[in-house]
Amino acid sequence: MKKKVLSILLTVAMTASLLAGCGSSGAAGGAAPAADSGAADAAAPAADDSAAPAASGDVQEITWMFWDDLNATEDLISKGYKETIDRFNKDYEGQYHCTPITTNLEEYYTKLNALVASGETPDVFIVSPGPNLTTYVEPGVAADLTPYLDADWKGTFSSDAVFAQQTYDGKIYAVPLNIAAACVFYNKEMFKEAGVEVPKTWDELIDACKKIKAAGHTPITISAGTAWCLSMLAGYLCDREGVDLKKIESGEESWNNTKTINAANKLIELSEYFQPTAAGDTNDVATAGLYNGEAAILIQGSWAIGQINGENPDFEQKCGVFQFPEIPGGNDPNRVIAKSDSLAMSATTKSPEAAIALMKYFTDDTAQKYTAEVGGKIPVTKVEYDASKAPAQLADVMDIFSNASSTFGFYNESLFSTEAGSTFDDNMVAIYLKEKTPEQAFDDLDKWYAANKK
Amino acid sequence: MDKLLKDKKAIAVFVLPAFILFTLILFIPICQSIYYSFCDYDALTKPTFVGLKNYKNLLIDDTMKIAVKNSLFFLIYSCVTQLIMGLILAGLLTNIEKGRNFFKNVIYLPCVLSSAALGLLWMFIFSPKLGINQILAKYGIEGPLWLMDIKNYIPLPMWVIAFVALWQYVGQSMMLYMAQISGINKSLYEASYIDGCSKVKSFRYITLPLIKPMVATAMSLNAIGSLKFFDLIFNMTEGGPNKKTMVLATHLYEQGFKYFKYGYASAIGTILLILCLLMTFLINNVFKTENYEM
Repeated sequence: MKKKVLSILLTVAMTASLLAGCGSSGAAGGAAPAADSGAADAAAPAADDSAAPAASGDVQEITWMFWDDLNATEDLISKGYKETIDRFNKDYEGQYHCTPITTNLEEYYTKLNALVASGETPDVFIVSPGPNLTTYVEPGVAADLTPYLDADWKGTFSSDAVFAQQTYDGKIYAVPLNIAAACVFYNKEMFKEAGVEVPKTWDELIDACKKIKAAGHTPITISAGTAWCLSMLAGYLCDREGVDLKKIESGEESWNNTKTINAANKLIELSEYFQPTAAGDTNDVATAGLYNGEAAILIQGSWAIGQINGENPDFEQKCGVFQFPEIPGGNDPNRVIAKSDSLAMSATTKSPEAAIALMKYFTDDTAQKYTAEVGGKIPVTKVEYDASKAPAQLADVMDIFSNASSTFGFYNESLFSTEAGSTFDDNMVAIYLKEKTPEQAFDDLDKWYAANKK
Repeated sequence: MDKLLKDKKAIAVFVLPAFILFTLILFIPICQSIYYSFCDYDALTKPTFVGLKNYKNLLIDDTMKIAVKNSLFFLIYSCVTQLIMGLILAGLLTNIEKGRNFFKNVIYLPCVLSSAALGLLWMFIFSPKLGINQILAKYGIEGPLWLMDIKNYIPLPMWVIAFVALWQYVGQSMMLYMAQISGINKSLYEASYIDGCSKVKSFRYITLPLIKPMVATAMSLNAIGSLKFFDLIFNMTEGGPNKKTMVLATHLYEQGFKYFKYGYASAIGTILLILCLLMTFLINNVFKTENYEM
């Protein structure tokens, strides 16, 4: 009997090691310890990010949290952020000092939430607009920035429209830093070889894919392993078919309707031309497929420019960009999927002046010029930049963006919660993998909405 | 020593650090976690009590069904294969003189390596653009998409990962069995040989019955290990494609750390705890043995 008790105790201990250790959320279990370790881990890299002097008497110390390692990164945008922080620390030496807290992208929100829960919200933190930002706006974690913007700052931005996704009840809770637009990247040489022109309509796209396939190349490289990549394509197809996401979100329409079904059928039709490993390839692998010359077309956000040119500089001149084709009889073809990185400020920061000063550094001319000329993203302010210095693809992206009649967010970031977004993504992947028919998939989404939307 | 054991104060002093540590980092979090499993909790706002809602949702959660199926598959597969492979290896290694230590170390080595690194390594080996499929292609064979083919009820990636886990952990079972076998008195074997017993028969009639208690221990360790299995799956497939390789621990991780549904994740954790207790109880009952004098 004693043995049995002992063995059961042992089991509890071992199972609990899961709960208390890595997986643990059961572990929420360890909300408090988790938060502590999160803070410790996050602070550790920060310490060597900059030779931060211990906060001396008058210096106002602030933290800035970001989803990439500033020292190890090859990403040009991240490198630009590091320069901005360094510039800020140098210019305000003796007055303000900013220490970056960095994590990798996968763990970013986990660590941020742990810091928030332990009352150590970073003074300034990066966040994606959409349900992610809402998570911080609703409980009052993010501060209302409207008064600071109204003072003299807002006028420097290219238009009020850049704040659309950051505005809640007329109040702005985050400042966008740059915009990326989802476009179609293609290999000019392969198009030439196959005798294909840039497709303007759906039928032309299918025709182009057929010809490229006949010429012996893989037409499209895409990642279904990283579900949002496939879901971005599905989002474009839905929008081109005229799906009204707002009506679906408000419950006026159901997910299962003719337009979504048509879009899903087009997704299946196009999937004939994906690389054979699309089901498991990650985003990076799929993007590499384009710049390594394994496939002709990549549908991706313009943030990929930095990655493409960074990994294979020779490809820059071969890489063309076009707008996602029109579906005749469907929606306005000049609508573009856009996404921005945004900065939010903690509502409990002790040094709002320092935090705002830092945020202004991210939107000043130097930083915004860098965004366009080096990073290849669309700036958010009225800054003049040298187009000849910028990556070759940016000019095409700018053309598409400035001709856009309106922009819309990623489908998975436009739904009411992160999980709703993931559910959409997963169902799109299920359609592609032919695990579900389009009708089943959208029925399942309707059911999920019925069960989970408050 | 006896004197010391009679001194209650001394006992208390020695037990206290472990007791405090155990309570602080294991027992309290477990209780907390069980409480959270009855709450809606996202770490940003205070937990609100919702009764059995999380458990009711678990019943209609499709991913949970996949996770339970895969975890049970994993449990059965690793209990059976580790038992057989572990016993065979232990039996063989105790019977050879030359190179015993070498093979023991080689087979045990993967156990001490980081699962995250091994996960990445095997992911590369099974990746279609590198590794096995490239070698197969040289012989004109088109290899399957090892980590992406999800047509079957138990998808191919689960078999692949289960195989890697067997490779990684079989050393541990082997060591446990070897330790037990080397504790068996040699005179028992000598007596059996005098009576005309072959090596195989002595293994069947002497070794096996005498290591039965260790089989129960090794199996419980195995069962718990495979139920809470996380790292290889997370590193090789992240539960994909499309959640088809989710197990309980990856589902728990996703719900907790991706969607911040800590209450729901705690409910999964509680189910995991119950399953582990149940398995230990079952195994201990099945392998009920009296201890022999060895």
